Amino acid sequence: MLPGMDLSDDDAGLMLRYKEGDAAAFCALYAEYKGPLYRYLLRHVRNAGAAADLFQEVWSRLVATRARYEPRAKFATFLFHIAHNCAVDFFRREVNLRGEVPAHEHHEPPLEPEVPEYQRPDRVAEFIEQQSALLAAVAALPQEQREAFLLREETGLTVEEIARVTDVPVETAKSRLRYAIRKLKKSLSPMQEPEVLPLRTYA
Amino acid sequence: MPEKRVPDEFDEYLRGDSALSRQYRRESAPAPPHALDRLVLRQAFRSAKSKAPLQSQSLAPLAFAASVLLSVALVLAIVFGPQAARRADDKPRVLQVSVYKTDPPRAAPASLRERNPAAWLEDIAALRRAGRDREADNEMRRFRSAYPDYLISVSE
Repeated sequence: MLPGMDLSDDDAGLMLRYKEGDAAAFCALYAEYKGPLYRYLLRHVRNAGAAADLFQEVWSRLVATRARYEPRAKFATFLFHIAHNCAVDFFRREVNLRGEVPAHEHHEPPLEPEVPEYQRPDRVAEFIEQQSALLAAVAALPQEQREAFLLREETGLTVEEIARVTDVPVETAKSRLRYAIRKLKKSLSPMQEPEVLPLRTYA
Repeated sequence: MPEKRVPDEFDEYLRGDSALSRQYRRESAPAPPHALDRLVLRQAFRSAKSKAPLQSQSLAPLAFAASVLLSVALVLAIVFGPQAARRADDKPRVLQVSVYKTDPPRAAPASLRERNPAAWLEDIAALRRAGRDREADNEMRRFRSAYPDYLISVSE
């Protein structure tokens, strides 16, 4: 769970207040979830334009369905279930339009906004490089594993909640997350280990 | 054994204190553009300002109560209504039917019947003598309504 991110039922209470017409309650929800939701979409579909469209679509659906909202689970589960459905629709449309393997199957670099040069002093250059490597590794994951990892990292949902959001059995969600973690660790481990240089002796 | 190490790593990850999670959190955290914020908030505000949505679920108990009330009223009407009272009287009855060879006698208003036919005819004759034929004809029609079978002499 992200620091400072409250996923308790308070959010469900805020949504109930918005259901009754309290716009301030929506502002509070939006402020809390806009970042995680945007990053989930951006890193899941790996296209900034599509992520922006989907972001707006998710909130539109939330607004449209507010009258039917019932706090049966965490608000995050409700919101990200909508987001999951929007993403699934996006990938399906992409396949139908292009008639080929969707972009998420290609190994493309993540479309993260690059850090400007003036923010890259030499002292943190190595750190920045590692960040990019992690996002590249996340982007290279299969779609389902990437989604499980992003849901976990961006929302702090449990495996059971990830299963509910993605409409799969708990064991499937657990397996996806387990594979994602294993692959990410494997892809990052060479960078984390200190480089061992051979000793050279000069005559 | 690498196979045993994986579940431990996963459990550590699920506890939230793995190096992987810490590294992910250190990543840049892009946020939606401000224009997108404005779009979403405007839509949400517009929806909140509009009338509170009709909540079908909150109306469901009311609809159910109305249905029950109507059903009970219907059952009471069937069981205790006027139809039920008549049903108790549903015994065979003998009806008396009068059969006439000619047209049955027509009923006349009591006020017309009360007038003496001879005197009435005399009044009509007086109207004719006075040249008030229209009034005489009207009176004659009333007379015939009151006494359809009365025989009037030719002279009248």
